[in-house]
Amino acid sequence: MDIEEVKERAGPRAFSPKDDLPEEYRKAATRMIQFHANSEVMGGYLDKQFTRQAPSLDRKLACTAKVQDEIGHAQLLYRAAETLGVKTREEMLDELEAGEGKFLNCFHYPVDSWYEAPMIDFFVDGGAMRRQATLKATSWEPYAHAMDKVCFEEGFHVKHGEDILRELMGSSRANQEKVQKTFDVWWPRIVQFFGPPNKDSKHNDFAQQVGLKTVSNDELRQAFLNAYIPKAEKYGLELPEVPKIEYDERSERYELEYDDLDWEEFWTIAKNDFQGSDEQIGSRRKRHEAVAWVRESMDAWETSQRAPQAAD
Amino acid sequence: MIWEVFRQAKPGKYHQHCGNVHAPDREMAKLFAQIQHGRRMQTNSLWVVPQEEVSEVDSDEAAFGGATDKAYRWAMTYNRVDASFAAEVEESEEEQREAAKAQEEA
Repeated sequence: MDIEEVKERAGPRAFSPKDDLPEEYRKAATRMIQFHANSEVMGGYLDKQFTRQAPSLDRKLACTAKVQDEIGHAQLLYRAAETLGVKTREEMLDELEAGEGKFLNCFHYPVDSWYEAPMIDFFVDGGAMRRQATLKATSWEPYAHAMDKVCFEEGFHVKHGEDILRELMGSSRANQEKVQKTFDVWWPRIVQFFGPPNKDSKHNDFAQQVGLKTVSNDELRQAFLNAYIPKAEKYGLELPEVPKIEYDERSERYELEYDDLDWEEFWTIAKNDFQGSDEQIGSRRKRHEAVAWVRESMDAWETSQRAPQAAD
Repeated sequence: MIWEVFRQAKPGKYHQHCGNVHAPDREMAKLFAQIQHGRRMQTNSLWVVPQEEVSEVDSDEAAFGGATDKAYRWAMTYNRVDASFAAEVEESEEEQREAAKAQEEA
């Protein structure tokens, strides 16, 4: 199949491993799914901090369950990427720890307080889930299939995240102020979560033409703002003045001043050159090395199970 | 000889223990299982297993982890917040509710 035919036939779950697909498609799909898988790993790594910070046993249990889910999602996605025949799962994991794997901007900022839990678990996860729901209609069938399972589980994450926000904003004035302060720091990053505006996006057009993406960055951001700004306001959070976001009654859209956002930091992060990137990737690398003995012993066991070859 | 009988109600569902039959051999056990356990309840398939082939471990010998309440894993637990603001969250919760119901019925 050539690229023109791919564009013609592109649709929800249109292509599977039995199709003969051009390299251009397979590489674009690999880049996108690998990015997604890496983000699940790094999101899980960020999130594990909240198990320590959680104020109750119930919250600790829910936080560990969530981390377990995220790492499971990464496995599903690496498998879906592997079926494209461009990179193996091991290669992708190696790239991640070598600092060559790309992942979502929000997971480059180390966290250290419980007030950050609703930022990640409600707003970032809510944004991710909105995006993932649209990927159930991606053209690479194994990717869409992974999204079925991921979206099934995410409902718990987002509702748990909102429940933390509800709890904190319904408690002492001091807590409310701390959540607001944390929100001021996180909000611009969350708005950037959906990537650069369409006009500055490198891969958006091609990904949409071949059906990998069904919705553009800006449309997703708009849908997110529509659902989540009223939620933030409901719990008494105020949007920071920067970036400027105004609701336009006529178009029923939020107009965002893109230039108010720190795109220099965004692009530094995109290259893994941010100071937080080092810390987060290093944390992942240390873990990967610490459990090398598990991988080795599993390989050794597998080798020992092979039937002995006849001597003659 | 006693044979334990497992019934599967619909394709794709688990075989579940439903009783036993006395029979001298496997063929007779299958026939008796059909007559005694396959006729009154909806049945797609039956398994018969010699009773001595079933191994048991009980709570005298082992500490089972299943006593832990796993409610924290389900979206429905967080019922002080409302999922209807986002279609994808609502849909996920609905899928979880269905899955929990199916598990309870199994």
